[in-house]
Amino acid sequence: MASEVAKPIDPAERARPYFDAAARGVLALQRCASCGACAFPLRARCPACGSTALEWREAAGAGRVFGHGRLTRSSAPELEGKLPLTLLLVDLDEGVRIPARLAASESRAVRAGDRVTLSFETSGDGTPLPVFRLDPGGAARSAS
Amino acid sequence: MRDSLAGATAICGLGMTELGRVYERTASDFAAEAVLAALADAGLAKDELDGLLLNAGISQGIDLSLVQTLGLRELSLLTQMNAYGSSAGQMVQYAAMAVHHGLARNVACVFADAPLVRGQRAGQAYGGARARRPGLGSIVPSLGFAGPIPFYALHAQRHMDVYGTTQDQLGAIALSARQWAARNPRATMREPLSLAEYHASPWVVAPFHVLDCCLVSNGAICVIVTGAERARDRPRPPVYVHGVGQAHQLEWNDASPSLAQRSSRAAFAMAGCGPADIEQCQIYDCYTFTVLTTLEDYGFCKRGEGGPFAESGALAPGGALPMNTGGGMLSSYYMWGMTPISEAVIQARGDGGARQVARNGRVAVSGNGGIFNHHATLVLSPHALG
Repeated sequence: MASEVAKPIDPAERARPYFDAAARGVLALQRCASCGACAFPLRARCPACGSTALEWREAAGAGRVFGHGRLTRSSAPELEGKLPLTLLLVDLDEGVRIPARLAASESRAVRAGDRVTLSFETSGDGTPLPVFRLDPGGAARSAS
Repeated sequence: MRDSLAGATAICGLGMTELGRVYERTASDFAAEAVLAALADAGLAKDELDGLLLNAGISQGIDLSLVQTLGLRELSLLTQMNAYGSSAGQMVQYAAMAVHHGLARNVACVFADAPLVRGQRAGQAYGGARARRPGLGSIVPSLGFAGPIPFYALHAQRHMDVYGTTQDQLGAIALSARQWAARNPRATMREPLSLAEYHASPWVVAPFHVLDCCLVSNGAICVIVTGAERARDRPRPPVYVHGVGQAHQLEWNDASPSLAQRSSRAAFAMAGCGPADIEQCQIYDCYTFTVLTTLEDYGFCKRGEGGPFAESGALAPGGALPMNTGGGMLSSYYMWGMTPISEAVIQARGDGGARQVARNGRVAVSGNGGIFNHHATLVLSPHALG
């Protein structure tokens, strides 16, 4: 709608609801009150319908592995002592794809299409990071 | 009815500087040298150049001041643009449109970059100093995603999981590039590469070894686009632009290689050909996997069969679909989309020397930018579109 104005917002301020929810172990997503589409990364307008009426909703934390890869070395100080680790792209059931990691405690091998459930780990610099564990019996060997 | 742009323009000039580990030079000076070399190659005087399109690489070392550097006084078309790896293909397309509609007669399209610093690792030069982003942007690097490599690697692993693509098959693409590079005197990496050496190459993000990733290079490449008729009066053989296409989307939730499908279909339709009519291809090879998925999207093999297709030797010297005949960005030089375009011009002209492929009637050229966010396709040919 032409009358709606997307105001500039400080990135850290805009992301506050995400971090508040993450502190409770919950993944918060932007959802458009107008058309219902979820958005990630953060938006000032709904990419589906253009509305500025974006609200925060708690995601169920369930999804499916789109892709995965093994990181064995990095110069990033916050990854010291955490390598090797498995990077994930997860398609949440809410319809958005997010970057994440396989939980450090997860020892099973992951494949594209596997069902996964969210939790959080804290990075070396205190950032709450979305991580996933494989669902029991949730392996989808025919990836979708 | 055929699109009036089909075959209406041609590349009449090519300028390439020394490429690769060439230090203590600025991107701006590389660009100036490449434009002047392309003008000389095209037999054009400086004041006959009336269009200039620029694409700065990662070091952002060139801008509109190149007009002043070169003392250009007759420009009626000028802009700087960037859609990463598809920029060069797009520049040729905008140049072709402008020439076709009479906005300019001779348009130079130049890419220049100089991120490499002596004594510094390529990865450092390219993405080492990434600024920490505020807000949600901090999560991505904290997870361990640094730059585009992990995103491509995860897409590649998905392909392996879904279609059974193997590490050897990704390796076949790296080996093929090196076989071609050995025949290209300008190539950075010309020593033979074995599959065992490929497997021994360090991991960046598995399934990507270092040798699945392109080089980082300094230098510049310029091509000049002119009308098909005028191109026939130039000293070098014209390289006709038969078909062009682009596709873009920035919703990384949907990021899928199908952009290459859209872009190539548009270009093939304009050129009046299909994938079976393409005799060789110059594919944007930022990673081995980018090649594999582009081959599938362009219809050179079926979805999921890119791995076996590469492993069959089809892409290597003597293969059924010679690809990246100069060694590509994996082994020769990383000039974004200008690497495949320049090689297509060399091949269409018959200038390939030890790497010349006899079948050069239709050359498909791809450019890929972002994380499957931008794609451009050209169909180039030494033959006028009859």
